[in-house]
Amino acid sequence: MNRRLVAVGLALAAVTLTGCSAGSGTTTIPAVSAVDPKPAGAQDAAGVSQPAVQNCDGLLASKRPLSPMPKPGAMPASMAGIVARGKLVVGVDQNTFNVGFRDPFTGEIQGFDIDMARAIAQAVFGDPNAIQLRAVTSDQRIPMLQSGDVDIVVRTMSITCDRKQQVDFSAVYYEATQRVLVKKNSGVAGMDQLGGKRVCATKSSTSLSKIAQFSAKPIPVQVADWTDCLVMLQQNQVDAVSTDDVILAGMAAQDKYTQLVGPSLGAEPYGMAIKQGNEDFLRFVNGVIEQVKANGGWANSYTKWLGGLIPGTTPNPPVPQYNG
Amino acid sequence: MTITSQRTGTGQQRDSGQPGTGMVNQVTSLARTTPGVLSGLALLLIVVGLAAGVFSAVGVQRRSQALDDLAARSGPLSVAAQEIYSRLSDADATASGAFLSGGLEPAQDRLRYENDIAQASSALAIAVAAHDPTDVTRDGSPLATLSRQLPVYTGLVETARANNRQGLPLGVAYQREASSSVMTGQLLPAAKQLYEDEVTSVSADQDRAGSFPVLEILVGLILLAVLVVAQVYVRRHTNRVFNVGLVAGTLAAVVSLLWVSVATFGVIGDVSASRDEGSAQVDVLAKARISALQARADETLTLVARGSGAQYEKDFATKRDEMNAALDSAQSKATDSGVRDVVTRARDNVKVWLDAHGGIRKADDSGDYANAVKLAVDPTATTGARVPFDKLDQVLRGGIDQTRKAFNDRVGAANGGLGGTVVVVVLLAVIVAVGSTAGIWQRLKEYR
Repeated sequence: MNRRLVAVGLALAAVTLTGCSAGSGTTTIPAVSAVDPKPAGAQDAAGVSQPAVQNCDGLLASKRPLSPMPKPGAMPASMAGIVARGKLVVGVDQNTFNVGFRDPFTGEIQGFDIDMARAIAQAVFGDPNAIQLRAVTSDQRIPMLQSGDVDIVVRTMSITCDRKQQVDFSAVYYEATQRVLVKKNSGVAGMDQLGGKRVCATKSSTSLSKIAQFSAKPIPVQVADWTDCLVMLQQNQVDAVSTDDVILAGMAAQDKYTQLVGPSLGAEPYGMAIKQGNEDFLRFVNGVIEQVKANGGWANSYTKWLGGLIPGTTPNPPVPQYNG
Repeated sequence: MTITSQRTGTGQQRDSGQPGTGMVNQVTSLARTTPGVLSGLALLLIVVGLAAGVFSAVGVQRRSQALDDLAARSGPLSVAAQEIYSRLSDADATASGAFLSGGLEPAQDRLRYENDIAQASSALAIAVAAHDPTDVTRDGSPLATLSRQLPVYTGLVETARANNRQGLPLGVAYQREASSSVMTGQLLPAAKQLYEDEVTSVSADQDRAGSFPVLEILVGLILLAVLVVAQVYVRRHTNRVFNVGLVAGTLAAVVSLLWVSVATFGVIGDVSASRDEGSAQVDVLAKARISALQARADETLTLVARGSGAQYEKDFATKRDEMNAALDSAQSKATDSGVRDVVTRARDNVKVWLDAHGGIRKADDSGDYANAVKLAVDPTATTGARVPFDKLDQVLRGGIDQTRKAFNDRVGAANGGLGGTVVVVVLLAVIVAVGSTAGIWQRLKEYR
């Protein structure tokens, strides 16, 4: 106690002697505004590069299926790499509800695309589970094919002239169309009303370049995965999402306050992508697509996964085009 | 200071011209007389003696203040900052991991996450309370980021959880946003900065508390010099060898100097030990632990990303190397067998964990995802990563507690070493002043 008093006295003396004075001032409480969290990699996509090749002949035509189709376990020699591994490595999505998504209850990736991929594993190995599903983002699809990290990509991938120069595509296995998803109370009825508004799509997707091209001049916003777009829509960071109807329908199913609006903005034919120069495998895959369409597998999978999302009855599967 | 030994005049030359200069001359001539010099000396001794006392006491008091800061401010705040950093790292690893296993998250994982957030928030409140409001409100300051973004993080995690409960893949997207954008992007860098700032201020307080007592020794020596000069003068001019008052004052000055020196050097030793045996080791062990927690989060996130997690795996390797480097550093800084034992046990568990990690990667890369997840999160998996990781965390926590106790003990001992010094210094300064004055007064009386 005494020591304290003395200390205080001395401290006062010292302060007086050295001529210091304690700083005094008032603290103003600054106005602080919230900083929205953003999905990793989300950014305004200024200057989206447009596809180098816009038009080409025979866009949707692929190689004719192998005839006769080999039985499981009797693959052509050129597919020996896949056979030796014992597993088909497939690049898929784990974010797109009911097309390729991870079921939170089971932790399994499933959906329409996954059924298609498993059909190929079934045809190669006689076992739909002889498969390794690797989640890839839109912009990883082509690099991962080219590096050989995946054998095939089955991930809502639209066939375009530009991509066709980098990878081979199977025959069309699903026909999607690009549309727009908005909040129900937004009053927006189509892309025309989105001039100057922020519209979301994944990086390197065809949807993103279409948004950038649109005459009403919406602001394209790019993200890594499709669900990131729904997150940003829910967080009021974008005004709309524009991509393939099947992807948007999966989002609308997860958020009842959103709806698909407007007419089709263009066809998005899905193909399975394979590294170039694997003609036997490409023909084999086309054969499997024919089989799945013929044996009702395609229709069953559509009914199971997409029937509840997309209005109308189960459509007929796409008609394949071949040119060699 | 020069003191003339000349016995100059008792002569009084008055200048009646100018009253001002007359007065000055009167004073200067008075000062040249022996009684004048003696009075001057007495005054000088009082001033120097008291000033020496005050400066020594202030020096000791400052040191004591630095020790108080170490014990009551920077020390505890560095603990709080470390708590924030490690708890947030753990919360992130736990919350991401809960999405891995599929189905409902295990109750103990949820509890662990909740406890992490509770503890981090509480430590954050302590850190905020201890800092100036401007530190908290300045944009970009670690405390501003932490206090503004932690609620955002927890909000996103709860949104993720709500979506997950409905079986919607949207939940994972919210979790990803929470983890990569808010936690990894903002909270963890801010927590790291805060921790480093607090470690720096511990070190600064240690520097202050352990500084060489230049001021105290200097003023002590000056006082002694003045006392010696005074005694020489008194002896020459009054024919007495010793002057009791001045001798007593000198003794008091010597005792004061010795007392301050002994106490201060004791403190310097203790402070240095608080660094070597305490804070330096706490720091490396804490770094090892936080790197381990973040590596664990990366291990989990690699699996959550499912095939596109190469970046997380790369980050895992970085954190693993940081952890190993911190453990090496802890080994070389260890000052007792307890800490060496901690490092040895930590390394044993690291080895088992890294083997398990190799198994996880192998399973995942070969397509056996279910097994990879099991190895990563299931506590019953025999070659799994969870058990060795939890053990490692426990061992490192124990090591941190142990070295922090050494730090606290040493700082406590240092603070005890200064106890009473200020009072003693002040009392001795009074003795110096009173003794010298009394001694000189005695001589001065002879001139009356």
